[in-house]
Amino acid sequence: MRKGIGWSVERRASVSRTERWWLFLTPSAVVLGLVMLYPLSYAVYLSLFDDDLGTGSHAFIGWANYASLLTDQRFWTSLLQTALIAVSAVGLEFCLGLMVAYGLYLLSFGARTLNLLLFLPHIITPVVAGLFLRWIFMGQWGLLSSVLIGLGIFPPDWLGTPGWARVTVVLADSWQFTPFIILVLYAGLNTVDQSQIEAGRIDGAGGWALLFRIMVPAIKPLILFVLAIRLMDAFRMFDIIYVLTAGGPGTATETLTMYDYALAFHLLQIGKASALGVLILAILALLTGIMIAVVYRRERGAF
Amino acid sequence: MPPSRPLQLALLAGLSLFTAATLTPVVWALLTSIKLPVDAFAVPPKLVFSPTFAFHYQVWVEKEFWRFLLNSIVISVSTVCLSVSIGTMAAFGLTRLRSRASRGVLFGLLAMRMFPHILLAIPFFVLANRLGLRNTYTGMVLALTAINQPFTIWLMRSFFHDVPEELYDAAVIDGCSPWQVFMRVALPIVRPGLWVTALFGLLLAYNEFLFALVLTGPDTKTLPVAIAEYGAEDINYWSLSAAAAIGIMLPIVAFMTVMQRHLVRGLSFGAVKG
Repeated sequence: MRKGIGWSVERRASVSRTERWWLFLTPSAVVLGLVMLYPLSYAVYLSLFDDDLGTGSHAFIGWANYASLLTDQRFWTSLLQTALIAVSAVGLEFCLGLMVAYGLYLLSFGARTLNLLLFLPHIITPVVAGLFLRWIFMGQWGLLSSVLIGLGIFPPDWLGTPGWARVTVVLADSWQFTPFIILVLYAGLNTVDQSQIEAGRIDGAGGWALLFRIMVPAIKPLILFVLAIRLMDAFRMFDIIYVLTAGGPGTATETLTMYDYALAFHLLQIGKASALGVLILAILALLTGIMIAVVYRRERGAF
Repeated sequence: MPPSRPLQLALLAGLSLFTAATLTPVVWALLTSIKLPVDAFAVPPKLVFSPTFAFHYQVWVEKEFWRFLLNSIVISVSTVCLSVSIGTMAAFGLTRLRSRASRGVLFGLLAMRMFPHILLAIPFFVLANRLGLRNTYTGMVLALTAINQPFTIWLMRSFFHDVPEELYDAAVIDGCSPWQVFMRVALPIVRPGLWVTALFGLLLAYNEFLFALVLTGPDTKTLPVAIAEYGAEDINYWSLSAAAAIGIMLPIVAFMTVMQRHLVRGLSFGAVKG
């Protein structure tokens, strides 16, 4: 990729390059192999068994776990729920994040301080964030409800009705991850070539046109990258839901990960839970594949 | 060139309002933790009250949350030491490999970063039980190290990537062994990057919940698990858990404040260059 000083240097470097440098990768490779790839393949192996810690059975059943999941209403509901929650959350985070990042970009003083303060929710332990938000949305004496009652409005049971519980989960995820988007987009906006912006301004572009016609296209690879990463993470969301609604009421906010957790650690059906885990991986791989294909077609070299 | 003064003020007001709204849950929890329950449960919320730190003392000392803090510290510091040392070596190795090989490895790492954690938690649980690694620091540190590897390597690589390759080539020609190139040439240059990476690794390990929930036990329970499990058996449950939550947040806030310069630079750097 980079040119050496001269032919001889490049050649000599490339000779030594093929040999011993691999050694630097070995410690990491050993850890990843033993602690990541081996357990992963073990999970795939387990998914072919009727492995139940409750009854103690361990019998080979082939694809039966997968078959039973694919006809399992709870699996499809949780898949739909996960997609719904992830897409709404990331959508909200991106819109808010872009607005705030652009606001900070335009602000000529105080942007750093605000940025730092805004970053706080993102670094808080997710479990703690879930608790913080629980105390806002609690039915009885949560802040939101008591403020509404003070205003004479009768509040809904935020965490106790399926619809509102989903909204709450989306808001909770946005609370934690909008700061991340703000920070990344703010940094991105600051890298946009000033001469491009000046040219736009001279052509008479106003604030919004500058943002959407010039700056957003300029940082499009960054935006796609951030969206892809966020979508993947939102798809695996667990901590906040665990604390906030525990998947409830009923299974109204049960995502795939929550369902899998319940299968493995409440129902102790290790085999079926492993199968669900493999399915989640397959879904994520499919999503990633689609996103990479889209990104690569549009923007060569975004990754 | 900068927008007009009234616009600036409107922007500042709007953004400050947004920031205030964002921080409300934190402030509310803080208030709950220093109010007596009588005041905390008042509707509408009471804003004038006499603060008490009794609940902070109770939950950290009498309820022994300091034990969980100790567990969290031991686990996250060990994880970072292990993870950053081997990850930095790997990242350095990658910058020296042919670009096709290193690209393959990097894509593999990205794929690993995408792994659903629950899929790993299940075999971790089964294997840790079998190997006697449940409720030990070792099991937890190994799990977190593996999880943090992809991120660590990617971030460190972005720092190594900015070092001109000629520098390494020159060192090789001067007779440095690969190890010497790494220790004497590469590491000193990327030292700020090391700190940033370590900081993020520390944060990830300190905040991690799912593996801790599955792999830790009474002796090794970390703070996130402890507070999630902390039940409503106490009369002052709300005040106590709010005090614990605020306490868990404090080290993070302190650390971020100290490291803010590196943090903002590091994250934007890592993410933009990612």
